[in-house]
Amino acid sequence: MPELLLQTFLNATYAASYIALVAVGLVLIFGVMGVINFAHGELYMLGAYGVVAVYVGAQQSFLLAVAVGLIFVGTVGLLMECALFRQLRDNPLSGLVASIGLLLILQALAAIFFGVRMEHIPPVTQEVLRFSDGVSLPLQRFFVIVAAVVLLAGLWMFLKYTRFGWALRASAEDREAAQLQGISVARIAQLAMVIGAGLAGIAGALTAPLVRVYPYMGHSVIVTVFIVIIVGGVGSLEGAVIAAIVYAFVHTFVTTFFDGVVADIVGLLLMLIVLVIRPTGLFGARDRA
Amino acid sequence: MRRFGNFAGGFSRRRLLAGANALSVSLLSSGLFPRLARSGEPIKIGFLAPLTGEVAAWGKPGLDGCLIWAEWVNALGGVKLGDERHNIEFVAYDNEYDPGKARTGAAKLIREDGVQFIMMLGGDTWPGVQPVAERAGMLVSTLLPSDLTPDTTMLIAPAEVHPIYNVTGVEWMAETFPDLKNAVICAQDDALGLPSLATYLAAFEAEGIELRQEPLLFDPATTDFAPIVTRLISSNPDIVSLDTCYSDYVHPICEQLFQQGYDGKVISCTADFYDQIIAKTSKEFMEGFIFQFPDFDDPALNDPNVNFKDPNDFFREYNRRYPGEWGAVSWEYASIMDLWKDAAEKAGSAEPEAVLVAMKSGGKGAHAFGEADWWGEELFGIDNALVGNWPVVVIEDGKARVKAYKSIPDWYGRHGDLLIKHMEDLGQMYYQRG
Repeated sequence: MPELLLQTFLNATYAASYIALVAVGLVLIFGVMGVINFAHGELYMLGAYGVVAVYVGAQQSFLLAVAVGLIFVGTVGLLMECALFRQLRDNPLSGLVASIGLLLILQALAAIFFGVRMEHIPPVTQEVLRFSDGVSLPLQRFFVIVAAVVLLAGLWMFLKYTRFGWALRASAEDREAAQLQGISVARIAQLAMVIGAGLAGIAGALTAPLVRVYPYMGHSVIVTVFIVIIVGGVGSLEGAVIAAIVYAFVHTFVTTFFDGVVADIVGLLLMLIVLVIRPTGLFGARDRA
Repeated sequence: MRRFGNFAGGFSRRRLLAGANALSVSLLSSGLFPRLARSGEPIKIGFLAPLTGEVAAWGKPGLDGCLIWAEWVNALGGVKLGDERHNIEFVAYDNEYDPGKARTGAAKLIREDGVQFIMMLGGDTWPGVQPVAERAGMLVSTLLPSDLTPDTTMLIAPAEVHPIYNVTGVEWMAETFPDLKNAVICAQDDALGLPSLATYLAAFEAEGIELRQEPLLFDPATTDFAPIVTRLISSNPDIVSLDTCYSDYVHPICEQLFQQGYDGKVISCTADFYDQIIAKTSKEFMEGFIFQFPDFDDPALNDPNVNFKDPNDFFREYNRRYPGEWGAVSWEYASIMDLWKDAAEKAGSAEPEAVLVAMKSGGKGAHAFGEADWWGEELFGIDNALVGNWPVVVIEDGKARVKAYKSIPDWYGRHGDLLIKHMEDLGQMYYQRG
């Protein structure tokens, strides 16, 4: 039993790591731009296909593939901001509809270029960290956990200690007041989109050898991430991280001790309970809800 | 008496005949009934299966196999109906495993394309197609006989009796490895996974293999299989059964079993693209993996009882055209076409009802893996499944090898009550399904 608990703890830690990366990106975009980006799951998918193209296709190193995935998806995010979301900034509903359209376009493009079947990505390493009999953590999963901690810590420091970070937080807090302080909201929106998309892209790239990579893989991720940001409070970065941890642990433990279908129901119940008790989410500000 | 409409002159025999004639012309031109191919015209066959999306692995490779089949048959003169020869032409429609799209596809294939026969994967998509096909009297095949009910008189399952053939793998395993005494099962919680789960439960019970824990159901949208595998192997089972999972799930589950250090026996309905599973795990880990779908270059496919034509050449040609794409269904739709062609030639017509009558005449048919019976009354309420022997396949030294052909009817004769009991427990009998 202790081994089972420990193994489940490690499984949950991995799940929390990549969910938090994707969720924080989505929250950042929403906070600064006021757009609910339904295509965020597809940015995660593009990151994974970056690995397919560079690591599998071009036979380059996995780290290079992750870097390419990050840059590529960040660039796609920038293009989305310039071509789509900037024009729709004051119209959240149009932004939502546009992102759904974009979602379909990105899925179709992935299907055209890579086909619809699950991609085969050879493992980067088959090394496994064995803590005891029945408790192990594959090194690939360990990489994801470490990368998530480093990236989220880096983002926190960026937001807390740099001028761009302050500007970003100010824009998320009150766009007009930020403009009055001389902050270029358009620039900051681009920055938020690049960081948000980049986080989704790097999460997709890092987990690509561990998950099913196919054009529609973003769907299940975005559903999970929406639950997480609703529980954490829409617009709250801290809330997204904590809710990702709570959701991942609840879902993983329920899957292990009951079954996966019950876990999905419990995950939705968790969201429902939080919405009933605290409609703005655990860390959401009232005016953002 | 008040008159309605234009029948001012009342009904006469002439009027009635003219009306009936006009009605039949309009019905035929509307495509409500299948069109008959004229002399020399190609006969169109509908291929209505998922060609994209998560279930594409059980559609697209089948279409590829059919295209090879059509090319070979047409090169030999096509199908001979009476004195006329007709080429075969496949018309494909991607239903994306969506019942609504399947319904649209069926209507298009019947009304616009004038197909004479439709092949489907079935499952979730059959309820969408059923009313359209029944209205048109269209002959339809499914790979999933769980679609059959007493009402589906024009639906046949002539290639595989999923999931009943899974009993053959368990039976062979129990005979070959009598020391394996307990098992765990994970299953996807849907119309594909649950009947298969009932089958494995019955097969394990028949062999005295004890279940270490309740079957673990998972949502088909699952992305991370680590928690599922952790739970599965926590009771140190001798056997892990993967039930019938989409190939996209078999791969990550095997990878997790490998990474979490499981070293027991694994049995699964399918192991599509098993070379990729080996690449993600190891040859040693996959050694002895039991499943149900052979590669057709297997020497055991040259057994004289096997009815599939030129299996080795078919496999070679398939891999030449679609390298790395061979899967469970690559040969299945083509094998259905063998049956259809023989029946159409026997009937001298491609008309759906005539083909069905010819196909089922005598109660026996030439199934891909040998002579088989039209069977299924007890399980499906109708004898529209063609059932006989099925191969047990084991991975040896990185290659799938047929180890035995086992009889499904023989197993059912001994343990049919167990199967019905478990099917009923999971609400999977034809009279329990909605």
